Amino acid sequence: MLAFLWQRLDQGARLALPCATVLAFTLLGAITWPLPYFGEVAPPLALMAVYYWAIHRPDLFRPGMAFLVGLLNDALHFLPLGLSALLFVAAHQFVFSQRRFFAGHSFYMMWWGFALTVLIVMFAEWTLLDLLRRQMIPLMPVFLQALLAIVIFPLPCWVLIRLQRTALSAG
Amino acid sequence: MTVLPRSTGWSSIVALPWRSLNQRFSAFVFMMAALGLLILGRIQPSLIEDTRAHVVDGAMPILDAIAWPMTAAENAAARVKSYMSLQEENQRLRADNAQLVQWQNALTALQDENRELRTLLNFQTEPGLAYISARVIADTGGPFVRGLLITAGKLDGVREGMAAMTGDGLIGRVVEAGDWSSRVLLITDLNSRIPVTIAGSGDRAILAGDNSNELKLFYLPQDAMLNPGARVVTSGHGGVFPPGLPVGVVTVAERGVYGVTPAADLGRVNYVRLVDFSLKGGAFNPLQTGIEAANKPN
Repeated sequence: MLAFLWQRLDQGARLALPCATVLAFTLLGAITWPLPYFGEVAPPLALMAVYYWAIHRPDLFRPGMAFLVGLLNDALHFLPLGLSALLFVAAHQFVFSQRRFFAGHSFYMMWWGFALTVLIVMFAEWTLLDLLRRQMIPLMPVFLQALLAIVIFPLPCWVLIRLQRTALSAG
Repeated sequence: MTVLPRSTGWSSIVALPWRSLNQRFSAFVFMMAALGLLILGRIQPSLIEDTRAHVVDGAMPILDAIAWPMTAAENAAARVKSYMSLQEENQRLRADNAQLVQWQNALTALQDENRELRTLLNFQTEPGLAYISARVIADTGGPFVRGLLITAGKLDGVREGMAAMTGDGLIGRVVEAGDWSSRVLLITDLNSRIPVTIAGSGDRAILAGDNSNELKLFYLPQDAMLNPGARVVTSGHGGVFPPGLPVGVVTVAERGVYGVTPAADLGRVNYVRLVDFSLKGGAFNPLQTGIEAANKPN
């Protein structure tokens, strides 16, 4: 009985991995890094995790979770509540619909897909914020953030691949 | 690497479109909910602000735990660096100390003279300032907002509108206070506007942020001629900030607009000091009394 319970708990923990990693990436994306001015261009780690799981395990990371993580992201980054939620769900839906193409046969295809996704999402975020606040936010830092996100994408992606292989393949 | 669900036969013909339809429908519902929240935020901003403050309060212990190793590593690196330059720093501090003793003597004489003159004029002094120190836990800047999350909230006496400083100067003000966390909007944020005075000339202006690391001076008098390097301090107008807090120094004018470099290094803020400037007293009186008692000569 106890063994069965442990087995169920273990299985539950493994299945919760996508949600847990997106949550962890969201929190990691908000903390202060010991690099001067890094916060101004800190890459959107949460979006990377949303992108990864929308391709690889959309059955374990559904739009509802993208919505909740988006709300947390809004609260932490002092953005209008609902903005990241809207963009994360839209990004999830876009990636889900194109996942066979983005997953492809090489990592470069997935990287290219992320570049496209992050550019669209960040431009949409910039446009919506301009409209909501009725002011022009400088576009260059937004572009730099997107660029940095594209450059460092393989690193968080490698972590997610390792986690998926360790926890989900074994389950 | 890719694990895509595969199924065959009649079940896949029925199940796949249904699952896709279900996914699309739920995505649509959540997108509508997010839009609803955005609209609600425009109609009832106070409701959204309270919710946001509670969410941040809830996330604070986890953020604190995640940030701890990084803070510890940074402190250790700073300590090693400090040990390496110990001799050099010791010499510099001795020179600084000698200069400060001279300043202290001059200050004591001026303080006595000031007190006597104030007594003669029957001058009403402004209430003293009280401070709350807090650690920066999250840099929630990004390209859209310049802000920090700090580990002090309403339970510590923090109120919205309080000035936030480092040892070098003003860095922003509290715009959101939860129970045990608060958010500081930096002076470089696009929405930051601070009434300031140029030390020396006494010219008044409004200091505005534009999400870059340089601030801009607006509404200066037409005939104002500022020298690069002139100190910019808060004017205290509007009662938002106490007067005389150092903000930065004037740089060269571009297209008729003077720039200001912040006195504090906004890229490396680990601790902040919140300044209470309560003209009517209030929540900070006990603290203020404590500070006044501590400053009182024996």
